[in-house]
Amino acid sequence: MNVLETLITRRRFLQASGAASALAAGGIGLRRLNPISESKAQRLSSGETVVTKNVCHQCPARCGIDVYTTDGRVHGIYGSMNSPIANGKLCPKGHLGTYILYDPDRYKGPMRRTNPNKGRDEDPQFEAISWEEALDIVAERLNGLRANNESHRFGILYGRGWGASCAGLLGTFGQLYGSPNIAIGHSSMCSDGSMVAKGLTDGNESYNAYDYKNVNYLLNFGAGFLEAFRPYNYLMQVWGHIRTKSPKTRVTAIDVHANATNAAADRKLLIRPGTDGAMALAIAHVILTEGLWDKEFVGDFRDGRNRFESGATIDGDDFNQRWVHGLETWWNEELKDRTPAWAEKITSIPARHISEVAREFGTTRPAMAIFERGPTAHSNGTWNGMAIHALNALVGSLFAEGGMFYQMGPSYGPLPVSAGDYMDEHAGRVQERIASGELPRIDMKGTNRWPLARNMMQEIGPNHLAGEPYKLDTVMFYLNNPIWTAPDSKVWEEAFKDIFVIETSPFPSESAKYADIILPDHTYLERLQDAPTYPFEGWPIATLRTPAVEPLYDTKVFGDTLIEIGKRIDGPMGEYYQALDNTENVLRHLAEGFRDDPGTNGVNDFESWKREGVWYRKPYHWRQRRGVFYEWDGEGYNRRMSPSEVREKLLRTPSGRFEFVSGKLEQHADYVEQEFGIPAERAGIIQWVAPEHPGGGDLYFSTPKTAMHAEGRGANIPHSISLMQPVMGGRRTVYLEIHPETARERGIRSGDRVRIRSELGEIEAYCRYFEGTRPDTVVLPMEHGHWAQGRWAEGRKPGHSGEITVNRSDRISGLASYYTTKVSVERA
Amino acid sequence: MPKWGMVIDLDKCTGCQACTTACAMENNTLPGESWQDVLFYHEGKYPNTSIKWFPRPCMQCENPSCVHVCPTRATYKTDDGVVLIDWNKCIGCKYCMIACPYGVRFYADERPLLEPDIRQAFPGSDGQMWSPPFQNPESDWSKGIGIQPRGVVSKCTFCYHKISKAPAGVTDLDEDDPDLVEYVPACVRTCAPKARYFGDLDNPESKVNELIANKRGTRVFEHTGNKPQVYYLGEHGTVPKFDPQFDDQA
Repeated sequence: MNVLETLITRRRFLQASGAASALAAGGIGLRRLNPISESKAQRLSSGETVVTKNVCHQCPARCGIDVYTTDGRVHGIYGSMNSPIANGKLCPKGHLGTYILYDPDRYKGPMRRTNPNKGRDEDPQFEAISWEEALDIVAERLNGLRANNESHRFGILYGRGWGASCAGLLGTFGQLYGSPNIAIGHSSMCSDGSMVAKGLTDGNESYNAYDYKNVNYLLNFGAGFLEAFRPYNYLMQVWGHIRTKSPKTRVTAIDVHANATNAAADRKLLIRPGTDGAMALAIAHVILTEGLWDKEFVGDFRDGRNRFESGATIDGDDFNQRWVHGLETWWNEELKDRTPAWAEKITSIPARHISEVAREFGTTRPAMAIFERGPTAHSNGTWNGMAIHALNALVGSLFAEGGMFYQMGPSYGPLPVSAGDYMDEHAGRVQERIASGELPRIDMKGTNRWPLARNMMQEIGPNHLAGEPYKLDTVMFYLNNPIWTAPDSKVWEEAFKDIFVIETSPFPSESAKYADIILPDHTYLERLQDAPTYPFEGWPIATLRTPAVEPLYDTKVFGDTLIEIGKRIDGPMGEYYQALDNTENVLRHLAEGFRDDPGTNGVNDFESWKREGVWYRKPYHWRQRRGVFYEWDGEGYNRRMSPSEVREKLLRTPSGRFEFVSGKLEQHADYVEQEFGIPAERAGIIQWVAPEHPGGGDLYFSTPKTAMHAEGRGANIPHSISLMQPVMGGRRTVYLEIHPETARERGIRSGDRVRIRSELGEIEAYCRYFEGTRPDTVVLPMEHGHWAQGRWAEGRKPGHSGEITVNRSDRISGLASYYTTKVSVERA
Repeated sequence: MPKWGMVIDLDKCTGCQACTTACAMENNTLPGESWQDVLFYHEGKYPNTSIKWFPRPCMQCENPSCVHVCPTRATYKTDDGVVLIDWNKCIGCKYCMIACPYGVRFYADERPLLEPDIRQAFPGSDGQMWSPPFQNPESDWSKGIGIQPRGVVSKCTFCYHKISKAPAGVTDLDEDDPDLVEYVPACVRTCAPKARYFGDLDNPESKVNELIANKRGTRVFEHTGNKPQVYYLGEHGTVPKFDPQFDDQA
């Protein structure tokens, strides 16, 4: 009878049975007895739907998005068909952007901290203030530092800088204000390893652009091609193409655990963490001994007879190198002994698999070896990266069709004012002190501590705490959250207690919890902002965000916040920002450059840029074909380039060639010897260097990002959380992947709560058995464990991997070795 | 009148779940209540472990068991081949959920799959279970489109609010065609590797029929006689057996 009673209270049943009106009078379910079927049978709104162009903000890729807005409410996001990256498509994160706009945890306007104490458990007790008040507080502080000759103690730390109208303004700000710490990017906590490895070998310190559409073999070392590699959306578009084209592109994927990328590949190899370089060297060894290298790019023995034999040296005079440098030394001093059998002992990959991969890679053209943090977020990351990249030289994929290039920048017009005209005496003096080395950056980048790194953000917390080289006074954050994301992040929690923090995020975060002033940015659907592409296919792209709606709250786009602060700085700096005026003015001047160089899509001014959301100009200008470099002459790759032109524009190394012996590293031979114990005369050779694993545990600890990791915000987006780790069923948490044998040895059952411990401390997680994870490794996606990021993020297990990740960096690239810590695991 | 059907090429599918989120935002489903889910399985012992995934929309069966068991005829088959629910008639008895062999019907009134409950962040108004500011303005309770009231079952509609407006006589709704893109179901439209195709199964000239013929399209659980209108191509199209170790203990 209970069932019947339940049914009878359901109004729709009543409605359908025709008894609705009678029973309605009796009061059962009255709440919704109105004739809903009529009132709901059409669009809820009669308003027109407007589509605006924007750019997704949830990874760096710059996918153009169409934002659907009706009656001032955004209700849909799809990929823009006219975006050359999105092509009408999106990745799983892209659709969730509406949450970012309507996130109920957003900051609603500028605020000031009233609780002077800082810490995890200290409520900042923010109180709302006006923009005028907030900007004046900041300006007074900055003017004070300048007056005391301490302007270097103000730093701006940024994460995902987008373009010339935001992060692009920071360099000038630092120059005019007078601080070496404006601005410090996050790249050393991102993926500098691959950039530096490429810079040291082919002279381009950059991520690559890739011609995936035409590649026939992909050898992937630890890049989450179908999860986290960017541009993820485009990579999946390419995947659909290369896996169904003729011939089908063959894929080998190397990682430390099974994941979507290697599950979809033709061959999955599970390698010991940090040893990818050994495998790459063995592949190179096989390519040379079996005569599979690209003779038109690399060159050949003068008599055409292959003298590469395992263990035997060659005479360099016998070999005519074309676009490579140092092959004789590389072979004789390193590669001749790097056999697959040698690599098996280091990598645990069976020698026969290494030989098979080498033969496939060496005989299929075009082929590319790609890599990212998997091999490079280790103490030996740059060495691993150089060894992998050398494979691209051996098969001639640099600047080739189906190969890899470097990204061209957009044809932006000049800004209305020149910063050089607004330098006062103080700014000039600081520039001199920076140039002379007297005034280092707080992270010591560019000093003899980190001579080759691009940034060293992870050192800022510890350096400030130690007062070495000095103490910071004020820090402003733009789109990053290092108090949480830095390795050994608890040090930052201590270090930032006595720093005046200016936060510009629209959202709460751990870094914002330390803020003294909140100057909230618009979310991306409210912004006017440019974003030139991340390395894509080489030809230049500049995307533009236009607001879909008026700002929901009292927020200000970061570029304008910066300009408004600049206007309040005493002296000529203030005048510069008065003249610059605002970011829209900046963008209008940038777009003037398109008049002389109209886009392939017809964009030639600010208005057409806004309408299309993107300016791009095809084609890429250079191509290497059969060992000859050509430049685009307007109709085709017809103009043959001289070696000096190649050196100037493409292979920008000391030798003008791809360097198996890095000239730049040789210039730092003493540093290499000091840090790695490598004799100075071997410093430049691409070679095997064993990784170091601090942490004190017995299991490698890998903390990858999943496909749902929306930059900086995934942990507070309900739909992201519920889809975060599909392979392991992580829909409320993310599970620690552990091999069943490894777990059983420790008395751990699948599903148990476990403690993961390193010398820094411990975190808790739930584990699940996974046969796809190496028995000597545990894998925990980096996502949860937030303590100040919003209602969905806070308190969600597992604990934050960064708290037990030792702050150890690759001594060359400076990349934080996120995957190098060893941990122990036990039942909690 | 077309008979709409979908083809999913599992050789191209990357398991990214963009279909799931596109559907979730287009149809305003609750976190975890995924009308268009992707199921993941793994098999084998280290180092030879395979991971498979299986995107699963409503199969829109020709012979839908859910329709047969519905006591109030709330769930029904349209002339153009789509299984819909009339929320004005649904009593939430869940018989259809038991009858469905594919697990693609949802009753979202119980404890939320993800807490805190998003319905408390965006409380329902006008009879809806919840009312987020980003709600799709398209709503038609007689077809199960929009945000449901409490106490009803919901399911994939093939984005009926889109496909039902497609120009007459179209054989395939191809998202790469600017004139048709707005009529394409969200999951098909966004699929980056183009693993999904949507078209008229009754038209022998359609792309979907071409793919089914050339790539040996199969349907899941043919033995039930439900005759799904969703076809799968490629190697990943097997559903591994249930593994009790993956009972959620967290």
